[in-house]
Amino acid sequence: MTAVAWPLVELASRLLEPDEREAVLGDLLEAEETAWQALLDIFGLVLRRQAFLWKSPQPWFAGFSVALPCTYLLMHVSVSVTATYERLFHHRVSTRWPTGQEGFVLLFCHFFLLMAWSWAGGYVVGSASRRTLWVSIALSSLACAFCLVTFRFEPLSRFCSFLFLLPAILGVRHGVRQARFSFACASLLAVTVTLLMIFAWAHQALWVLNWVLALPAWYLVAAAWRSRQEGRTGPSWPFSPAPLPSPVSVRKKH
Amino acid sequence: MLGEFEYVLITAAAALGDNAYGAAIREEIEATTRRRCSMGALYTTIDRLETKGLLKTWMGDSTPQRGGRAKRMVRVTSKGVHAAKEFYDAVMRVSRGVSWAENQTGSSS
Repeated sequence: MTAVAWPLVELASRLLEPDEREAVLGDLLEAEETAWQALLDIFGLVLRRQAFLWKSPQPWFAGFSVALPCTYLLMHVSVSVTATYERLFHHRVSTRWPTGQEGFVLLFCHFFLLMAWSWAGGYVVGSASRRTLWVSIALSSLACAFCLVTFRFEPLSRFCSFLFLLPAILGVRHGVRQARFSFACASLLAVTVTLLMIFAWAHQALWVLNWVLALPAWYLVAAAWRSRQEGRTGPSWPFSPAPLPSPVSVRKKH
Repeated sequence: MLGEFEYVLITAAAALGDNAYGAAIREEIEATTRRRCSMGALYTTIDRLETKGLLKTWMGDSTPQRGGRAKRMVRVTSKGVHAAKEFYDAVMRVSRGVSWAENQTGSSS
C-alpha cells in the first residue's frame, strides 16, 4: 500500500468502532491490499453496519417521527414565544405572529413548555438513535432550513427561531449518554407538561399540532417504567425487547 | 439452520484452530471457495455468529507484519460446532443420489 493512500484508508476507518478499526486495519496491512481495495473494503463494512442499524425501528422513529416534525413545531413555538415576549416587554406587535391575549403567565407557561418539549424531544432522539444520530441531525437541519425559507420573521430576528436549540442539544447529549432518571421524575415532567398544555389550551393559546410535542415526555415515562420493570434504573427503548443494536464489543482477553 | 456463508466461516475458523482471526479466516475462505470474501461480509457475519453464541471473539496480540495492530481472534463454540454439523448433515442428506455428488460419496454405479 502506498504511503500516500494509507492516511486516506486510516481516515475512512474512523467510521468504524475503535476495536474493529484496529482489527480491520491490521488485516488490510497483512493482506497487502491495494489502497483502492482497502478503501472499498472499509466503505463496504461501514455500509453494512449502517444498513444493519436501519433494520431496527428506532432510527426511523427518532429521525422521521421525532426529529423532523418536532424541529418544525419547536421552531414555530420559539418564534411565537419571542413574539409574545416582544409584545409584553417592548410593546412591539408583530402582525405576522399574533400572540393574542397571552399575558405574562402564559408566556412563562409557554417558555417552560418550550424548554421541556425541546429537552424531552432531544433525549428521545439521542437515546433511540445513538449510532444513527447523524441522520436525525440531518433531518432536523432540513426542517430548520425549510422554516428559515418559509417563515416570515419581520420584525423579529431569525435567531429567535432557534430558542429550542440549546435544551434540545442538552437532551440529545443526555440521551446519547443514557442519563439515568427515575420513573417518578419522568412522570413529574410528563404530568407537568400535560397540565401546562391543558392550561394553555383552555386559554386558546395552544396550536392543536403542539400536542404532538407532549409525546416525547410520555415516551420517557414509558422508558423509565420499562427500566423499573426490568430492575434497571437507566432508560431504554420502551417498545422493543432488545436494546439498541450495536456491533458486538470485543475486548482484550485476560 | 446456518446460512451457506456462515457455515463456510465456521468451518474455516475451526480448521484454523488457535490461529483463527480475521485475515487468516478470510484467506482460508478465499482459497477454498475461490471467491473473493469482502471485509464487510466477514466481520458482519462474525458479529452475527457471535450474537447467536456460535463463535467467541476477543482482541489478540499484534504483530509487526500488521503494523502493530491487534488481531480479532475467533473460536468456534460447542454450539457452533453443533450447528455446523447439523448443516453438514443436512447437505449430505439432501445430496444423496444427485449426479454431482456421486463421485464424492463413492455411490456411483
